[in-house]
Amino acid sequence: MPILLLPSTNFKFFPPKLKCVDMKLDTSGLESTSPFFGSGDELCPELSAAPSFSLPLSTDFDEFQKDTKATLKHAKGTTTLAFIFKEGVMVAADSRASMGGYISSQSVKKIIEINPYMLGTMAGGAADCQFWHRNLGIKCRLHELANKRRISVTGASKLLANILYSYRGMGLSVGTMIAGWDETGPGLYYVDSEGGRLKGTRFSVGSGSPYAYGVLDSGYKFDMSVEEAAELARRAIYHATFRDAASGGVASVYYVGPNGWKKLSGDDVGELHYHYYPVTPSTVEQEMAEVAGA
Amino acid sequence: MECVFGLVGDGFAILVADTSAVHSILVHKSNEDKIMVLDSHKLIAASGEPGDRVQFTEFIQKNVSLYQFRNGIPLTTAAAANFTRGELATALRKSPYMVNILLAGYDKETGPSLYYIDYIATLHKVDKASFGYGSYFSLSMMDRHFHSGMSVEEAVDLVDKCILEIRSRLVVAPPNFVIKIVDKDGAREYAWRESVKDTPVSSA
Amino acid sequence: MEAIGNAGSAIGILSKDGVVLVGEKKVTSKLLQTSTSTEKMYKIDDHVACAVAGIMSDANILINTARVQAQRYTYAYQEPMPVEQLVQSLCDTKQGYTQFGGLRPFGVSFLFAGWDKNYGFQLYMSDPSGNYGGWKAAAIGANNQAAQSILKQDYKDDISREEAVQLALKVLSKTMDSTSLTSDKLELAEVFLMPSGKVKYQVCSPEALSKLLVKHGVTQPAAETS
Repeated sequence: MPILLLPSTNFKFFPPKLKCVDMKLDTSGLESTSPFFGSGDELCPELSAAPSFSLPLSTDFDEFQKDTKATLKHAKGTTTLAFIFKEGVMVAADSRASMGGYISSQSVKKIIEINPYMLGTMAGGAADCQFWHRNLGIKCRLHELANKRRISVTGASKLLANILYSYRGMGLSVGTMIAGWDETGPGLYYVDSEGGRLKGTRFSVGSGSPYAYGVLDSGYKFDMSVEEAAELARRAIYHATFRDAASGGVASVYYVGPNGWKKLSGDDVGELHYHYYPVTPSTVEQEMAEVAGA
Repeated sequence: MECVFGLVGDGFAILVADTSAVHSILVHKSNEDKIMVLDSHKLIAASGEPGDRVQFTEFIQKNVSLYQFRNGIPLTTAAAANFTRGELATALRKSPYMVNILLAGYDKETGPSLYYIDYIATLHKVDKASFGYGSYFSLSMMDRHFHSGMSVEEAVDLVDKCILEIRSRLVVAPPNFVIKIVDKDGAREYAWRESVKDTPVSSA
Repeated sequence: MEAIGNAGSAIGILSKDGVVLVGEKKVTSKLLQTSTSTEKMYKIDDHVACAVAGIMSDANILINTARVQAQRYTYAYQEPMPVEQLVQSLCDTKQGYTQFGGLRPFGVSFLFAGWDKNYGFQLYMSDPSGNYGGWKAAAIGANNQAAQSILKQDYKDDISREEAVQLALKVLSKTMDSTSLTSDKLELAEVFLMPSGKVKYQVCSPEALSKLLVKHGVTQPAAETS
C-alpha cells in the first residue's frame, strides 16, 4: 500500500514575516556535462542555471516547518456538526479557538452565514475558513445574479471543493460542512482542504467530532421535530466540549428550513452542564463519618 | 481501509469497491460510491486520496464524453485506458494524482476487458486485479477460485467470497461494498453488500 | 484555387475492398530528375494515404502536420486514428489560415484514402478553405469537373478494387491534356486489407503500371512503343 504511506501534502508555505535569504542548492552533481538546451549558456541563462529558490533563515528547517504547520492549524480544536432530518438541516458548533494549550477566544462564530439559505461550518484554520466562505458567498451571489436563481448546495460545495483542490498541498487547512436548502430540498456536504467532498446526511468535523458522533449517532432519527433535532445537536456539542479540551464556549445551534436559516440558540456549555446535570447535595461526608465510626 | 477489485468473466466484467470515506480513525460516510460509470459501456473504480479520486475520475469521464461528442464514436476501452494512463503519466512529474484505477469496459469487437492502472501510471490488461489493503486477501482468493469464462453467478459468488474474507481477516475492514457490472447491455450497478447502514434508525 | 486548377489531377475511387488513388504527374521539364519515390501520393500512417493537388510546398507542411497528428493520437490512445478525425484535424488547420488577415490559405486540395475499424474504407476530399466531405469517387486538380462528371456516370456501387483501378485510369485518360497515358506520368496507390486483416498501402511500380495500362487498353500508342 505505498499510497497510504506517502505524505498527503507537500508543505510549501513560508510565513512572510521570516527573513529569507537566497540559499542556492548545490545541484552540480546532477548536471550533465553538456547543457540540455541549445549550445551555449548565454542563450538561455534561466534554463541552464542550477535551480535555486528561497529558503527560510532557519537552522532546523524540519522543525520550522512543523511549527509553521502547527501555527496554521491552530483552530483545529473544534467541534462542529450538521445533519439532515425531516424538517431540514440542523447545524451546530462550539465557539472556542485555541492555539495549542492556550484558549485564544471563547466566542468565535464557527457557523458562517453564506447567504440566507446556506451555512458553512468552520474547522481548521480560522482565517482560511472565513476567507473562503466569504469568497464562496460572493460566488454564490454572482451565480444568483447571473442565473436568476439561487445556487444549489451541490453546486456551492463543488465550487468550494474545486477551489480548495486547486490550492491543495499549499498549506490551507479547512474542514467544513456546507448546509442549506435549495430547489431539491435540504442539502449537506462535507468539504476539506485535501479536496475531499462528500454528500451525506450526518457529519461532524473537528477534534471533538468523535465525541459528537457518539451522541449524534445514538440519538439520530430522521423523524424528528425541529425542537428534538436542536436538542440533539446541542447535546452532541455539549458532550464533545465536555470531553474535548480544545472545544468549549458556547454551543450555537442553527436550523435551515425551506425559508432559510435561523439561529435557534447559543448556550454556554458550562451552563448547559448544570442544566443537564444539576448539582445534587452530596452525602459523601456522612459516609466518611460512618466509616470512621465503624 | 480501501478495497477495490474486479475480474473479467464470460461476456462481462465486474468491479467491486468498498464505500467508506475515512479520515484517520473516523468513518465519515459508509455509502460513498467509488465506482463511476464512465460512459454507457465503461466503469472506472478508483482508490486513493479522496480529492484526487473524484477530480481525476471526473476529468477522465468528461474527456471521454467530449471525445464522443466530437467524433460521434465512443472510445474503445483500450483507448480510454491508454488515455487515462497518459494523463496520469503527464501529471506524475507535475502534481501527481494519488489514485489507483481499475477500468472495465465492454466493446463490440473485443468483448469485456479490465485494465489495471496504478498512481505511477503503470498499465496492465488483466482479467483480475485488486488495490488497497483488501488486495492481500482478494488477490489470493481470485487466484485460487478464478477461471476464465466465469458466469455472472460464479463471479458474484467469488466476489462475495472475497468480501467475506476481507470482512473477517482485515483489521480495518470496510463494512459496505458496491458491485457493478458491465456487459453488452451496458454498465450498471449490480448490488450493494452492506453490513452497516449509513443512517441507522436506532432508538434515541 | 487557381493553383489547384492547373495542378496535376488526382482521382480517388472507393470500392468495396479498398480505395484507389490515381494521380497525374506534371512533368515540367525533361531535364527534371523525376524522383524515384512518389510525388503526389503520401502515406500519412499505416492506414491512411493521401493524394495532393496544388502547391507542393504548402502540401508538405500539411502532410507533416497530418503525420504528427496521427502519431499523437496513437501515442495517446495506442490505436490508429480514425480517418475522418485525421481529415478533420487537417482541415481545422487549413480553416485557420482562411480566418486571419495577413495569412495566405494553403493552396492545396487533398484526397484521403484510409481504413478504420469503425467505418471501413473511406475516401475524403478537402479544398483550400478547409471544407471536406466523404466521397465514393472524387477528383481534384486540373479538369476535375470533367473527371467528376465521368465518374458520376460510370461509378456503380459494389465496384471491386480492380474495376476501380480501371475506371480511374479511364477517367484520367480522357481528362488529361496529354494524348497518351504512360507510366512515367502516372501514379497509382491503393489502400486495402491483406488476408491477415492488416491494412496495406501499396504504390504501384512503373512496370506494373505499364502492364495495367496495356491490360485495360487505355494506352494504345504507349503499348506499342513499350
